[in-house]
Amino acid sequence: MSHYPKSGTWQTCRACGRHVHQSQWGQWRQCPYCQHWQRLTARQRLTQLVDPASFQPLPMPEQAHDALAFPGYQEKLTTASHQSGADEAIIIGTAKIAKRPCVLAVMDSHFMMGTLNTVVSRRLQRACAVAQRRRLPLIVVTASGGARMQEGLYALFGMNLILAAVARLAAAAVPLITVLTDPTMGGVSASFAFKGDVIVAEAGAKIGFAGPRVIQQTMPAQLPADFQSAEQLWRHGMVDAVVARPDLRAYLQTVLASYAMGGNADAID
Amino acid sequence: MRSTKQEDQRLTRLRAADRISAPEIIQALLPTLVRQRGDRLLGQAPALTAGFGRTTDGLGLAVLGIDRGHDLASRQQKNGGALTVAGYRTALRVVNHAQKFGLPVISLINMPGADASPESERWGQSQAIADLIMAMGQLTVPNVAVFLGEGHSGGALAFANANRILMLDDALFNVASPEAVAAILHGQQSVSAAIDLLPMTAPELQQRGLVDQVVAHTDDQLVTKVIQAVRTQLAPLMPVSAAQLIAEREAKFQRFVAAWPLEKSE
Repeated sequence: MSHYPKSGTWQTCRACGRHVHQSQWGQWRQCPYCQHWQRLTARQRLTQLVDPASFQPLPMPEQAHDALAFPGYQEKLTTASHQSGADEAIIIGTAKIAKRPCVLAVMDSHFMMGTLNTVVSRRLQRACAVAQRRRLPLIVVTASGGARMQEGLYALFGMNLILAAVARLAAAAVPLITVLTDPTMGGVSASFAFKGDVIVAEAGAKIGFAGPRVIQQTMPAQLPADFQSAEQLWRHGMVDAVVARPDLRAYLQTVLASYAMGGNADAID
Repeated sequence: MRSTKQEDQRLTRLRAADRISAPEIIQALLPTLVRQRGDRLLGQAPALTAGFGRTTDGLGLAVLGIDRGHDLASRQQKNGGALTVAGYRTALRVVNHAQKFGLPVISLINMPGADASPESERWGQSQAIADLIMAMGQLTVPNVAVFLGEGHSGGALAFANANRILMLDDALFNVASPEAVAAILHGQQSVSAAIDLLPMTAPELQQRGLVDQVVAHTDDQLVTKVIQAVRTQLAPLMPVSAAQLIAEREAKFQRFVAAWPLEKSE
Protein backbone atom coordinates (compact mmCIF):
# COMPACT_ATOMS: atom_id res chain seq x y z
CA MET A 1 0.00 0.00 0.00
CA SER A 2 1.20 3.43 -0.94
CA HIS A 3 0.87 5.02 2.50
CA TYR A 4 3.63 2.80 3.85
CA PRO A 5 7.19 4.04 3.52
CA LYS A 6 8.70 2.94 0.26
CA SER A 7 11.59 1.17 1.91
CA GLY A 8 10.11 -0.85 4.73
CA THR A 9 7.46 -1.72 7.19
CA TRP A 10 8.16 0.85 9.89
CA GLN A 11 6.42 4.17 10.27
CA THR A 12 6.98 7.05 12.60
CA CYS A 13 3.97 7.96 14.74
CA ARG A 14 3.02 11.58 14.03
CA ALA A 15 2.13 12.11 17.68
CA CYS A 16 4.88 10.46 19.76
CA GLY A 17 7.59 10.07 17.16
CA ARG A 18 8.19 6.41 17.94
CA HIS A 19 8.84 3.92 15.18
CA VAL A 20 5.94 1.55 14.88
CA HIS A 21 5.97 -1.68 12.94
CA GLN A 22 3.25 -2.28 10.42
CA SER A 23 1.85 -5.19 12.41
CA GLN A 24 1.67 -3.06 15.56
CA TRP A 25 -0.67 -0.46 14.02
CA GLY A 26 -3.30 -3.17 13.89
CA GLN A 27 -6.65 -3.16 12.15
CA TRP A 28 -7.59 0.33 13.41
CA ARG A 29 -4.23 1.94 12.76
CA GLN A 30 -3.59 3.07 16.32
CA CYS A 31 -0.15 3.74 17.78
CA PRO A 32 0.52 1.09 20.45
CA TYR A 33 2.62 3.55 22.51
CA CYS A 34 0.56 6.73 22.59
CA GLN A 35 -2.84 5.56 21.25
CA HIS A 36 -2.75 8.15 18.49
CA TRP A 37 -5.01 7.26 15.57
CA GLN A 38 -3.12 7.27 12.32
CA ARG A 39 -4.79 9.16 9.48
CA LEU A 40 -6.50 6.74 7.12
CA THR A 41 -6.53 6.73 3.37
CA ALA A 42 -9.96 6.84 1.76
CA ARG A 43 -9.63 3.16 0.86
CA GLN A 44 -8.74 2.17 4.43
CA ARG A 45 -11.69 4.18 5.69
CA LEU A 46 -14.06 2.43 3.29
CA THR A 47 -12.84 -0.98 4.40
CA GLN A 48 -13.56 -0.09 8.01
CA LEU A 49 -16.99 1.42 7.42
CA VAL A 50 -18.93 -0.41 4.75
CA ASP A 51 -20.13 -3.95 4.14
CA PRO A 52 -17.50 -5.97 2.26
CA ALA A 53 -17.70 -5.51 -1.52
CA SER A 54 -20.69 -3.16 -1.19
CA PHE A 55 -18.90 -0.03 -2.37
CA GLN A 56 -19.80 0.91 -5.92
CA PRO A 57 -17.89 3.94 -7.15
CA LEU A 58 -19.89 6.69 -8.85
CA PRO A 59 -18.38 8.18 -12.00
CA MET A 60 -15.24 10.13 -11.15
CA PRO A 61 -13.84 11.22 -14.52
CA GLU A 62 -12.46 14.52 -13.24
CA GLN A 63 -8.77 15.09 -12.97
CA ALA A 64 -6.92 17.99 -11.38
CA HIS A 65 -5.28 20.54 -13.66
CA ASP A 66 -2.75 23.23 -13.02
CA ALA A 67 -4.81 25.63 -15.11
CA LEU A 68 -3.30 28.76 -13.55
CA ALA A 69 0.28 27.50 -13.84
CA PHE A 70 0.78 28.06 -10.14
CA PRO A 71 4.42 27.55 -9.11
CA GLY A 72 5.04 23.96 -8.00
CA TYR A 73 1.41 22.83 -8.27
CA GLN A 74 1.88 20.33 -11.08
CA GLU A 75 4.76 18.72 -9.19
CA LYS A 76 2.66 18.59 -6.04
CA LEU A 77 -0.17 16.86 -7.91
CA THR A 78 2.19 14.31 -9.39
CA THR A 79 3.81 13.59 -6.03
CA ALA A 80 0.44 13.38 -4.29
CA SER A 81 -0.87 10.86 -6.76
CA HIS A 82 2.31 8.76 -6.59
CA GLN A 83 2.46 8.79 -2.81
CA SER A 84 -1.22 8.27 -2.11
CA GLY A 85 -2.15 6.01 -4.99
CA ALA A 86 -5.30 8.13 -5.30
CA ASP A 87 -6.21 10.36 -8.24
CA GLU A 88 -7.67 13.10 -6.03
CA ALA A 89 -8.59 13.94 -2.46
CA ILE A 90 -12.02 12.29 -2.48
CA ILE A 91 -13.82 9.18 -3.62
CA ILE A 92 -17.59 8.91 -4.00
CA GLY A 93 -19.88 5.96 -4.41
CA THR A 94 -22.82 4.02 -3.08
CA ALA A 95 -22.36 1.50 -0.32
CA LYS A 96 -24.14 -0.46 2.35
CA ILE A 97 -23.58 -0.26 6.08
CA ALA A 98 -25.14 -3.28 7.80
CA LYS A 99 -27.21 -3.75 4.65
CA ARG A 100 -28.53 -0.19 4.69
CA PRO A 101 -27.78 1.66 1.46
CA CYS A 102 -26.25 5.12 1.41
CA VAL A 103 -24.21 7.43 -0.75
CA LEU A 104 -20.73 7.83 0.66
CA ALA A 105 -18.03 10.43 0.03
CA VAL A 106 -14.66 9.92 1.68
CA MET A 107 -11.95 12.57 1.66
CA ASP A 108 -8.29 11.62 1.79
CA SER A 109 -5.76 13.73 3.66
CA HIS A 110 -2.95 11.83 1.95
CA PHE A 111 -3.69 13.67 -1.29
CA MET A 112 -2.57 17.30 -0.84
CA MET A 113 -4.01 17.30 2.69
CA GLY A 114 -7.46 16.60 1.37
CA THR A 115 -7.79 20.15 0.12
CA LEU A 116 -11.01 21.25 -1.54
CA ASN A 117 -10.43 21.97 -5.22
CA THR A 118 -12.47 21.91 -8.43
CA VAL A 119 -12.37 18.11 -8.63
CA VAL A 120 -13.40 17.50 -5.03
CA SER A 121 -16.13 20.09 -5.42
CA ARG A 122 -17.54 18.52 -8.59
CA ARG A 123 -17.51 15.02 -7.08
CA LEU A 124 -19.22 16.15 -3.90
CA GLN A 125 -21.90 17.92 -5.92
CA ARG A 126 -22.43 14.67 -7.82
CA ALA A 127 -22.69 12.70 -4.55
CA CYS A 128 -25.35 15.17 -3.34
CA ALA A 129 -27.30 14.92 -6.59
CA VAL A 130 -27.23 11.10 -6.59
CA ALA A 131 -28.28 10.94 -2.93
CA GLN A 132 -31.17 13.28 -3.73
CA ARG A 133 -32.35 11.37 -6.80
CA ARG A 134 -32.12 7.94 -5.21
CA ARG A 135 -33.35 9.18 -1.83
CA LEU A 136 -30.38 7.72 -0.03
CA PRO A 137 -28.73 9.26 3.04
CA LEU A 138 -25.43 10.94 2.20
CA ILE A 139 -22.48 10.26 4.49
CA VAL A 140 -19.48 12.54 4.00
CA VAL A 141 -16.25 11.64 5.79
CA THR A 142 -14.20 14.84 5.89
CA ALA A 143 -10.41 15.05 6.08
CA SER A 144 -9.12 18.33 4.77
CA GLY A 145 -6.86 21.26 5.45
CA GLY A 146 -9.31 23.62 3.70
CA ALA A 147 -9.52 25.11 0.22
CA ARG A 148 -6.68 24.37 -2.20
CA MET A 149 -4.98 27.71 -2.65
CA GLN A 150 -3.25 26.72 -5.89
CA GLU A 151 -6.63 26.82 -7.66
CA GLY A 152 -7.59 30.25 -6.34
CA LEU A 153 -11.24 31.27 -6.43
CA TYR A 154 -11.97 28.20 -8.55
CA ALA A 155 -11.36 26.16 -5.40
CA LEU A 156 -13.05 28.63 -3.03
CA PHE A 157 -16.32 28.43 -4.95
CA GLY A 158 -16.51 24.76 -4.06
CA MET A 159 -17.81 26.04 -0.73
CA ASN A 160 -20.93 27.81 -2.04
CA LEU A 161 -21.55 25.38 -4.90
CA ILE A 162 -21.51 22.36 -2.59
CA LEU A 163 -23.72 24.24 -0.15
CA ALA A 164 -26.19 24.89 -2.97
CA ALA A 165 -26.33 21.14 -3.60
CA VAL A 166 -26.67 20.52 0.15
CA ALA A 167 -29.60 22.97 0.23
CA ARG A 168 -31.39 20.91 -2.43
CA LEU A 169 -30.70 17.77 -0.42
CA ALA A 170 -32.20 19.43 2.64
CA ALA A 171 -35.25 20.61 0.68
CA ALA A 172 -35.80 17.02 -0.46
CA ALA A 173 -35.52 15.82 3.16
CA VAL A 174 -32.60 13.53 2.41
CA PRO A 175 -30.31 13.30 5.44
CA LEU A 176 -26.71 14.46 5.38
CA ILE A 177 -24.45 12.82 7.94
CA THR A 178 -20.98 14.28 8.28
CA VAL A 179 -18.12 12.40 9.91
CA LEU A 180 -15.36 14.82 10.83
CA THR A 181 -11.95 13.18 10.92
CA ASP A 182 -8.42 14.49 11.35
CA PRO A 183 -8.03 17.20 10.09
CA THR A 184 -11.20 19.12 9.19
CA MET A 185 -10.32 22.79 8.73
CA GLY A 186 -10.94 26.00 6.80
CA GLY A 187 -13.08 25.87 3.69
CA VAL A 188 -14.35 22.39 4.47
CA SER A 189 -15.30 23.02 8.09
CA ALA A 190 -16.88 26.36 7.07
CA SER A 191 -19.08 24.78 4.43
CA PHE A 192 -20.56 21.28 4.26
CA ALA A 193 -18.78 19.70 7.26
CA PHE A 194 -20.93 21.56 9.76
CA LYS A 195 -24.11 21.35 7.69
CA GLY A 196 -24.78 17.72 8.59
CA ASP A 197 -28.16 16.83 10.06
CA VAL A 198 -26.05 14.64 12.30
CA ILE A 199 -22.42 15.59 12.88
CA VAL A 200 -20.08 13.03 14.42
CA ALA A 201 -16.40 13.62 15.08
CA GLU A 202 -13.87 10.85 15.20
CA ALA A 203 -12.05 10.69 18.54
CA GLY A 204 -8.74 12.52 18.44
CA ALA A 205 -9.57 14.58 15.33
CA LYS A 206 -8.52 18.22 15.06
CA ILE A 207 -11.39 20.33 13.80
CA GLY A 208 -11.55 24.08 13.37
CA PHE A 209 -11.53 27.03 11.01
CA ALA A 210 -8.22 28.86 11.44
CA GLY A 211 -5.09 26.77 11.90
CA PRO A 212 -3.67 26.53 15.44
CA ARG A 213 -0.33 27.98 14.35
CA VAL A 214 -2.02 31.08 12.94
CA ILE A 215 -4.05 31.50 16.11
CA GLN A 216 -1.05 30.98 18.37
CA GLN A 217 0.75 33.83 16.57
CA THR A 218 -1.95 36.26 17.64
CA MET A 219 -1.84 35.50 21.36
CA PRO A 220 0.73 35.38 24.14
CA ALA A 221 -0.73 32.46 26.11
CA GLN A 222 -0.24 28.85 25.15
CA LEU A 223 -3.28 27.22 23.55
CA PRO A 224 -4.67 24.35 25.61
CA ALA A 225 -3.66 20.86 24.49
CA ASP A 226 -7.23 19.94 23.58
CA PHE A 227 -7.77 23.10 21.49
CA GLN A 228 -9.82 22.30 18.36
CA SER A 229 -10.05 18.64 19.40
CA ALA A 230 -13.15 16.56 18.72
CA GLU A 231 -13.56 16.16 22.47
CA GLN A 232 -13.46 19.92 23.09
CA LEU A 233 -15.97 20.56 20.31
CA TRP A 234 -18.27 17.97 21.83
CA ARG A 235 -18.06 19.60 25.26
CA HIS A 236 -18.89 22.92 23.60
CA GLY A 237 -21.91 21.44 21.86
CA MET A 238 -20.54 21.73 18.33
CA VAL A 239 -20.88 18.04 17.38
CA ASP A 240 -23.47 15.42 18.27
CA ALA A 241 -21.02 12.71 19.24
CA VAL A 242 -17.35 11.79 19.47
CA VAL A 243 -16.87 8.21 18.42
CA ALA A 244 -13.71 6.13 18.51
CA ARG A 245 -12.67 4.62 15.22
CA PRO A 246 -13.66 0.99 15.98
CA ASP A 247 -17.19 2.14 16.89
CA LEU A 248 -17.85 4.45 13.91
CA ARG A 249 -19.43 1.80 11.72
CA ALA A 250 -21.89 0.79 14.46
CA TYR A 251 -22.67 4.47 15.11
CA LEU A 252 -23.45 5.13 11.44
CA GLN A 253 -25.51 1.96 11.33
CA THR A 254 -27.68 3.32 14.15
CA VAL A 255 -28.05 6.70 12.45
CA LEU A 256 -29.05 5.11 9.13
CA ALA A 257 -31.51 2.82 10.87
CA SER A 258 -33.01 5.79 12.70
CA TYR A 259 -33.74 7.64 9.47
CA ALA A 260 -35.23 4.47 8.00
CA MET A 261 -34.99 5.81 4.45
CA GLY A 262 -36.11 3.36 1.79
CA GLY A 263 -33.96 4.64 -1.02
CA ASN A 264 -32.65 2.73 -3.96
CA ALA A 265 -28.94 2.05 -4.14
CA ASP A 266 -29.20 0.51 -7.58
CA ALA A 267 -31.38 3.09 -9.30
CA ILE A 268 -30.10 4.21 -12.68
CA ASP A 269 -29.58 7.96 -12.85
CA MET B 1 11.38 38.27 -7.75
CA ARG B 2 12.73 38.40 -4.19
CA SER B 3 10.59 39.49 -1.35
CA THR B 4 10.79 43.11 -0.34
CA LYS B 5 10.39 44.46 3.15
CA GLN B 6 7.90 47.02 1.96
CA GLU B 7 4.28 46.07 1.85
CA ASP B 8 2.97 45.97 -1.66
CA GLN B 9 1.72 49.42 -2.68
CA ARG B 10 -1.53 48.00 -3.94
CA LEU B 11 -2.20 46.44 -0.55
CA THR B 12 -1.20 49.60 1.29
CA ARG B 13 -3.84 51.49 -0.67
CA LEU B 14 -6.55 48.95 0.13
CA ARG B 15 -5.67 49.00 3.80
CA ALA B 16 -5.16 52.75 4.13
CA ALA B 17 -7.05 54.72 6.77
CA ASP B 18 -8.55 57.08 4.18
CA ARG B 19 -9.78 54.29 1.91
CA ILE B 20 -13.42 54.62 0.95
CA SER B 21 -15.39 52.69 3.56
CA ALA B 22 -18.67 50.87 3.86
CA PRO B 23 -20.11 53.31 6.44
CA GLU B 24 -19.51 56.25 4.04
CA ILE B 25 -21.41 54.53 1.26
CA ILE B 26 -24.19 53.36 3.54
CA GLN B 27 -24.68 56.90 4.82
CA ALA B 28 -25.16 58.16 1.27
CA LEU B 29 -27.20 55.16 0.12
CA LEU B 30 -29.56 54.91 3.11
CA PRO B 31 -29.42 58.24 4.97
CA THR B 32 -31.98 57.03 7.50
CA LEU B 33 -30.52 53.58 8.12
CA VAL B 34 -32.24 51.51 10.77
CA ARG B 35 -29.18 49.86 12.16
CA GLN B 36 -29.51 46.21 13.14
CA ARG B 37 -26.93 45.40 15.72
CA GLY B 38 -26.04 42.13 17.40
CA ASP B 39 -26.96 38.50 16.93
CA ARG B 40 -29.20 38.35 20.05
CA LEU B 41 -27.02 35.55 21.36
CA LEU B 42 -23.31 36.22 21.63
CA GLY B 43 -23.07 39.95 21.10
CA GLN B 44 -22.15 42.18 18.21
CA ALA B 45 -19.22 42.98 15.94
CA PRO B 46 -18.23 46.65 15.63
CA ALA B 47 -16.74 45.97 12.17
CA LEU B 48 -20.21 45.30 10.78
CA THR B 49 -22.52 48.16 9.83
CA ALA B 50 -25.81 46.54 8.91
CA GLY B 51 -29.49 47.28 8.72
CA PHE B 52 -32.17 48.47 6.35
CA GLY B 53 -33.80 51.61 5.10
CA ARG B 54 -34.93 53.53 2.04
CA THR B 55 -32.92 55.36 -0.56
CA THR B 56 -33.78 59.01 -1.17
CA ASP B 57 -35.95 57.88 -4.09
CA GLY B 58 -37.80 55.35 -1.95
CA LEU B 59 -36.21 51.98 -2.71
CA GLY B 60 -36.08 49.68 0.32
CA LEU B 61 -32.71 47.98 0.81
CA ALA B 62 -30.76 46.00 3.38
CA VAL B 63 -27.01 46.53 3.76
CA LEU B 64 -24.09 44.60 5.19
CA GLY B 65 -20.92 46.68 5.44
CA ILE B 66 -17.58 45.54 6.80
CA ASP B 67 -14.79 48.02 7.37
CA ARG B 68 -11.45 48.08 9.12
CA GLY B 69 -11.76 51.38 10.94
CA HIS B 70 -10.21 54.73 9.99
CA ASP B 71 -7.84 55.33 12.88
CA LEU B 72 -5.97 53.33 15.50
CA ALA B 73 -8.78 53.39 18.06
CA SER B 74 -11.51 52.40 15.62
CA ARG B 75 -9.26 49.77 14.07
CA GLN B 76 -8.77 48.20 17.46
CA GLN B 77 -12.46 48.40 18.18
CA LYS B 78 -13.33 46.87 14.81
CA ASN B 79 -10.71 44.14 15.12
CA GLY B 80 -9.12 45.45 11.91
CA GLY B 81 -12.24 44.35 10.02
CA ALA B 82 -11.94 40.69 11.01
CA LEU B 83 -15.50 39.78 11.87
CA THR B 84 -16.22 37.84 15.00
CA VAL B 85 -18.78 35.05 15.09
CA ALA B 86 -21.37 37.51 16.38
CA GLY B 87 -20.75 39.56 13.22
CA TYR B 88 -21.53 36.70 10.84
CA ARG B 89 -24.61 35.80 12.85
CA THR B 90 -25.78 39.40 12.93
CA ALA B 91 -25.40 39.46 9.14
CA LEU B 92 -27.46 36.27 8.98
CA ARG B 93 -30.20 37.91 11.00
CA VAL B 94 -30.17 40.97 8.73
CA VAL B 95 -30.34 38.77 5.63
CA ASN B 96 -33.27 36.73 6.97
CA HIS B 97 -35.07 39.94 7.87
CA ALA B 98 -34.42 41.35 4.39
CA GLN B 99 -35.88 38.24 2.82
CA LYS B 100 -38.96 38.45 5.01
CA PHE B 101 -39.68 42.00 3.88
CA GLY B 102 -38.52 41.64 0.29
CA LEU B 103 -35.51 43.94 0.56
CA PRO B 104 -32.56 43.40 -1.78
CA VAL B 105 -29.26 42.93 0.10
CA ILE B 106 -26.16 44.99 -0.68
CA SER B 107 -22.85 43.92 0.86
CA LEU B 108 -19.84 46.21 1.00
CA ILE B 109 -16.57 44.41 1.63
CA ASN B 110 -13.13 45.40 2.85
CA MET B 111 -11.87 42.86 5.34
CA PRO B 112 -8.77 40.83 6.12
CA GLY B 113 -8.99 37.06 6.45
CA ALA B 114 -10.66 35.22 9.28
CA ASP B 115 -10.47 36.28 12.88
CA ALA B 116 -7.80 33.89 14.15
CA SER B 117 -8.70 33.65 17.82
CA PRO B 118 -9.71 30.98 20.33
CA GLU B 119 -13.01 32.84 20.91
CA SER B 120 -14.02 32.65 17.25
CA GLU B 121 -13.22 28.94 17.21
CA ARG B 122 -15.07 28.43 20.47
CA TRP B 123 -18.27 30.04 19.21
CA GLY B 124 -18.33 28.30 15.88
CA GLN B 125 -16.72 30.49 13.23
CA SER B 126 -17.02 27.57 10.80
CA GLN B 127 -20.75 27.15 11.35
CA ALA B 128 -21.39 30.89 11.24
CA ILE B 129 -19.62 31.28 7.88
CA ALA B 130 -21.28 28.17 6.42
CA ASP B 131 -24.70 29.40 7.53
CA LEU B 132 -24.20 32.81 5.94
CA ILE B 133 -22.85 31.40 2.67
CA MET B 134 -25.87 29.13 2.44
CA ALA B 135 -28.38 31.80 3.41
CA MET B 136 -26.97 34.24 0.83
CA GLY B 137 -27.08 31.53 -1.82
CA GLN B 138 -30.71 30.70 -1.07
CA LEU B 139 -31.94 34.29 -0.80
CA THR B 140 -35.28 34.89 -2.48
CA VAL B 141 -34.40 38.59 -2.89
CA PRO B 142 -31.62 39.94 -5.12
CA ASN B 143 -28.18 40.49 -3.63
CA VAL B 144 -25.25 42.52 -4.88
CA ALA B 145 -21.72 42.44 -3.44
CA VAL B 146 -19.23 45.29 -3.76
CA PHE B 147 -15.52 44.82 -3.05
CA LEU B 148 -14.34 48.23 -1.84
CA GLY B 149 -10.97 46.85 -0.76
CA GLU B 150 -10.01 43.25 -0.27
CA GLY B 151 -11.88 40.14 0.77
CA HIS B 152 -10.48 36.64 1.01
CA SER B 153 -11.47 33.14 1.99
CA GLY B 154 -14.80 31.83 3.23
CA GLY B 155 -15.48 34.92 5.31
CA ALA B 156 -15.57 37.16 2.23
CA LEU B 157 -17.46 34.53 0.23
CA ALA B 158 -20.18 34.63 2.87
CA PHE B 159 -20.86 38.24 1.78
CA ALA B 160 -20.12 37.72 -1.91
CA ASN B 161 -22.33 34.71 -2.70
CA ALA B 162 -24.46 37.10 -4.72
CA ASN B 163 -26.31 37.67 -7.98
CA ARG B 164 -23.90 40.42 -8.97
CA ILE B 165 -20.35 41.24 -7.95
CA LEU B 166 -18.83 44.70 -8.31
CA MET B 167 -15.26 45.69 -7.56
CA LEU B 168 -13.30 48.87 -7.38
CA ASP B 169 -10.58 48.61 -10.01
CA ASP B 170 -7.83 48.07 -7.44
CA ALA B 171 -9.78 45.72 -5.12
CA LEU B 172 -8.88 42.06 -4.52
CA PHE B 173 -10.94 38.89 -4.04
CA ASN B 174 -9.14 35.61 -3.51
CA VAL B 175 -9.18 32.25 -1.79
CA ALA B 176 -6.55 33.59 0.63
CA SER B 177 -4.67 36.83 1.29
CA PRO B 178 -1.63 37.58 -0.87
CA GLU B 179 0.46 37.03 2.28
CA ALA B 180 -0.98 33.53 2.69
CA VAL B 181 -0.36 32.76 -0.99
CA ALA B 182 3.26 33.89 -0.62
CA ALA B 183 3.57 31.78 2.53
CA ILE B 184 2.72 28.50 0.81
CA LEU B 185 5.59 29.26 -1.58
CA HIS B 186 7.98 29.56 1.36
CA GLY B 187 9.14 33.05 0.48
CA GLN B 188 10.15 32.20 -3.07
CA GLN B 189 7.77 34.90 -4.26
CA SER B 190 7.10 38.30 -2.75
CA VAL B 191 3.65 39.31 -1.57
CA SER B 192 3.47 41.67 -4.58
CA ALA B 193 4.26 38.82 -6.94
CA ALA B 194 1.68 36.63 -5.22
CA ILE B 195 -1.07 39.04 -6.29
CA ASP B 196 -0.30 38.18 -9.91
CA LEU B 197 -0.02 34.41 -9.40
CA LEU B 198 -3.76 33.89 -9.02
CA PRO B 199 -6.67 35.76 -10.59
CA MET B 200 -7.70 38.10 -7.78
CA THR B 201 -7.67 41.60 -9.26
CA ALA B 202 -10.81 43.31 -10.52
CA PRO B 203 -9.81 43.45 -14.23
CA GLU B 204 -8.72 39.81 -14.17
CA LEU B 205 -11.93 38.64 -12.51
CA GLN B 206 -14.05 40.77 -14.82
CA GLN B 207 -12.32 39.27 -17.81
CA ARG B 208 -13.04 35.81 -16.39
CA GLY B 209 -16.71 36.66 -16.11
CA LEU B 210 -17.07 36.73 -12.34
CA VAL B 211 -17.18 40.47 -11.82
CA ASP B 212 -20.07 42.30 -13.45
CA GLN B 213 -18.86 45.88 -13.15
CA VAL B 214 -15.65 47.66 -12.17
CA VAL B 215 -15.53 51.20 -10.76
CA ALA B 216 -12.38 53.32 -10.88
CA HIS B 217 -11.15 54.01 -7.34
CA THR B 218 -9.72 57.34 -8.47
CA ASP B 219 -13.10 58.81 -9.39
CA ASP B 220 -13.64 62.02 -7.43
CA GLN B 221 -17.34 61.18 -7.12
CA LEU B 222 -16.57 57.69 -5.89
CA VAL B 223 -19.41 57.29 -3.40
CA THR B 224 -21.94 58.38 -6.01
CA LYS B 225 -20.36 56.16 -8.66
CA VAL B 226 -20.49 53.11 -6.41
CA ILE B 227 -24.13 53.74 -5.59
CA GLN B 228 -24.94 54.23 -9.29
CA ALA B 229 -23.20 50.99 -10.13
CA VAL B 230 -25.13 49.13 -7.44
CA ARG B 231 -28.41 50.55 -8.77
CA THR B 232 -27.44 49.66 -12.35
CA GLN B 233 -26.77 46.06 -11.38
CA LEU B 234 -29.80 45.80 -9.14
CA ALA B 235 -32.38 47.15 -11.59
CA PRO B 236 -32.63 44.11 -13.89
CA LEU B 237 -32.83 41.78 -10.87
CA MET B 238 -35.90 43.43 -9.36
CA PRO B 239 -38.54 41.69 -11.49
CA VAL B 240 -36.81 38.27 -11.33
CA SER B 241 -38.67 35.53 -9.45
CA ALA B 242 -37.32 34.04 -6.22
CA ALA B 243 -36.61 30.64 -7.77
CA GLN B 244 -34.88 32.28 -10.71
CA LEU B 245 -32.72 34.45 -8.45
CA ILE B 246 -31.50 31.37 -6.58
CA ALA B 247 -30.87 29.43 -9.80
CA GLU B 248 -29.10 32.34 -11.53
CA ARG B 249 -26.91 32.96 -8.50
CA GLU B 250 -25.65 29.39 -8.51
CA ALA B 251 -25.31 29.46 -12.31
CA LYS B 252 -23.11 32.55 -12.08
CA PHE B 253 -20.54 30.66 -10.01
CA GLN B 254 -20.96 27.43 -11.99
CA ARG B 255 -20.23 29.36 -15.19
CA PHE B 256 -17.06 30.83 -13.71
CA VAL B 257 -15.84 27.46 -12.44
CA ALA B 258 -16.76 25.73 -15.73
CA ALA B 259 -13.77 27.39 -17.37
CA TRP B 260 -11.54 25.17 -15.24
CA PRO B 261 -10.54 22.02 -17.15
CA LEU B 262 -11.54 18.76 -15.45
CA GLU B 263 -11.21 16.22 -18.23
CA LYS B 264 -8.37 13.74 -18.26
CA SER B 265 -5.30 15.08 -20.00
CA GLU B 266 -3.45 12.80 -22.35
